[in-house]
Amino acid sequence: MVTTAGSFSSPRVHWEFNMASYSEWLSYLQSAEKTALVQDGKKKVHFKFPDGKEMAEEYDVKTNDLLLRKWRKKGTLGGSGTWEIEVGDPQVVRPVAMETQGMVESSSNPIFTRRDTKKAFMWRIRNLPYPVETYNITVDADNRCIIIRTTNKKYYKKFPIPDMDRAGLPMEQRAVNYAHANNTLVITYEKPAGVLEMERQVMQELKKLKAAKDGDVECNPS
Amino acid sequence: MAASEAAAKVQEVREVTRIERIGAHSHIRGLGLDDALEPRQVSQGMVGQLAARRAAGVILEMIKEGKIAGRACLIGGQPGTGKTAIAMGMAQALGQDTPFTAMAGSEIFSLEMSKTEALTQAFRKSIGIRIKEETEIIEGEVVEVQIDRPATGTGAKVGKLTLKTTEMETIYDLGTKMIESLTKEKVAAGDIITIDKATGKITKLGRSFTRARDYDAMGPQTKFVQCPEGELQKRKEVVHTVTLHEIDVINSRTQGFLALFSGDTGEIKSEVREQINAKVAEWREEGKADIVPGVLFIDEVHMLDIECFSFLNRALENDMAPILIMATNRGITRIRGTNYKSPHGIPIDLLDRLLIVSTSPYSEKEIRQILTIRCEEEDVEMSDDATTILTKIGMETSLRYSIQLITAANLVCRKRKGTEVSVDDIKRVYSLFLDELRSTQFLKEYQQEFMFNEMTETEQMETS
Repeated sequence: MVTTAGSFSSPRVHWEFNMASYSEWLSYLQSAEKTALVQDGKKKVHFKFPDGKEMAEEYDVKTNDLLLRKWRKKGTLGGSGTWEIEVGDPQVVRPVAMETQGMVESSSNPIFTRRDTKKAFMWRIRNLPYPVETYNITVDADNRCIIIRTTNKKYYKKFPIPDMDRAGLPMEQRAVNYAHANNTLVITYEKPAGVLEMERQVMQELKKLKAAKDGDVECNPS
Repeated sequence: MAASEAAAKVQEVREVTRIERIGAHSHIRGLGLDDALEPRQVSQGMVGQLAARRAAGVILEMIKEGKIAGRACLIGGQPGTGKTAIAMGMAQALGQDTPFTAMAGSEIFSLEMSKTEALTQAFRKSIGIRIKEETEIIEGEVVEVQIDRPATGTGAKVGKLTLKTTEMETIYDLGTKMIESLTKEKVAAGDIITIDKATGKITKLGRSFTRARDYDAMGPQTKFVQCPEGELQKRKEVVHTVTLHEIDVINSRTQGFLALFSGDTGEIKSEVREQINAKVAEWREEGKADIVPGVLFIDEVHMLDIECFSFLNRALENDMAPILIMATNRGITRIRGTNYKSPHGIPIDLLDRLLIVSTSPYSEKEIRQILTIRCEEEDVEMSDDATTILTKIGMETSLRYSIQLITAANLVCRKRKGTEVSVDDIKRVYSLFLDELRSTQFLKEYQQEFMFNEMTETEQMETS
């Protein structure tokens, strides 16, 4: 059993269309069985799709920012899989029983997380001490992913932007920006208008959802 | 501060390689048959028992074809005539992909699990399902393996593994289990390995081309491969064999798949099993999965009781049943749980379903050959005279006793700084350790001085 601290799978796209518009994504969301709950300033929404996949999202109640989005699907042999985080900080899942189990990535390795802003997708890679000229970030438009290379061959990452696939928009090199400070490489990709529109519609859809208040289990003592 | 750190460093002892232990049947590598299933006199660690080995070879063909379910076979014979060796040989000949479960008859008696549950689990452990599954693997070239163990001998080992591809490098912290499998696979810097993330299984792909010029001692079969490209973690469709039992455990909600690692799976509900069976049948129809019927070997089968036997009768009729091989060293004896006597302690109705193979005592020549093989396996040099004496001992007492003497005599030989075990060493250990016959003799002579010897003659007969 090998556990990665915050498994962030890169080349696996959970949602695949061929350049369709986001209406398909919206109807997929609508097909899901949704449950919502407000807890410590976060609106937590759980989607259960007819194909067996599950998605959980967390939004800030005040700003409506997306804090977390994770996916889970059933394994081939049955049994529920592990959550794969698309957006948000990887949960610290360093298992207590590491001694008896297999291996975990050392905590000194680079940690890859995605945290979006209103205007852009943003990725932060912590624990990357190399200077800014080491990095080479390119957009592979054909394979629909961004590739980070390092000239010293220490780090390499290929990752898609699932939101862009959902919106069915082409990817462009000029939308990418990056900066390096405090051992962290920050990559931003400006959200195109199509994505913003899609997000607005999803938000509207979620507004309709009635969220249960934290801890209040409906119970009528007679 | 620095001094204490240095002291801590000294306390750590680097582990080089772990010595592999030698088991009773570790010299067996197969059944020793040629392509026409004719047994060779001495081959793959097997000696003699030609008829039994040939019969085992026929059964092996039946298993390999995989068409027939629920056949059973019984290997009967005196103690020390190679029954377990034949079963082990079959397991070796079947290879890695066919599930082979070995258990002793007494293993089913547990307080945590009912007898039939234990048997069902053993049955389901012996049926493999070949299925395509997407798994996450780590594939890379080993840059460094570092395993530290506290010098006190206690406490967990810690380790680090550095892997790289042409583009990147990652350090992993290792747990005890992983360290064990790394040492078992003898993974060293320069090897290209893959690690299955779900199971932790390590596969060595070969040596890196960049290491081709290191003049290491390496066999002619060393394969050189390119260092992998891109990311270390990849998703791959792999075809692998899982047993029905593993699928059961993954799907039994109370346990979770972690139970597979701790080995403590408890009882599994029959509804879960029914669901799995339906699912597997579905996969089979869709062509997603193949069934690989394996082998369940129950040693000392006379230890099962009448309930287990009638359960076996029923279970063998299932079309998902594996091939069952049983071994016993009993003659006509009481069936456990009844007062009836039956051949091999097995009810007649079950015996009727079995193909019975019998083994016979070894000849003097064969015993000599087995002893020579064991000497090689245990890395013991023995003079010809000593082997002759040991063979004679083996003929008069038992094969097991004479095999035991090999290690003991070797130790005696080493203590006197000899290089080859001589007749004197054998004599020495023969006088030190009693065999069963001499021990009985001794007891008969000195019975009166032992405790609780007031038993009457008839009582003693009953207990024996």
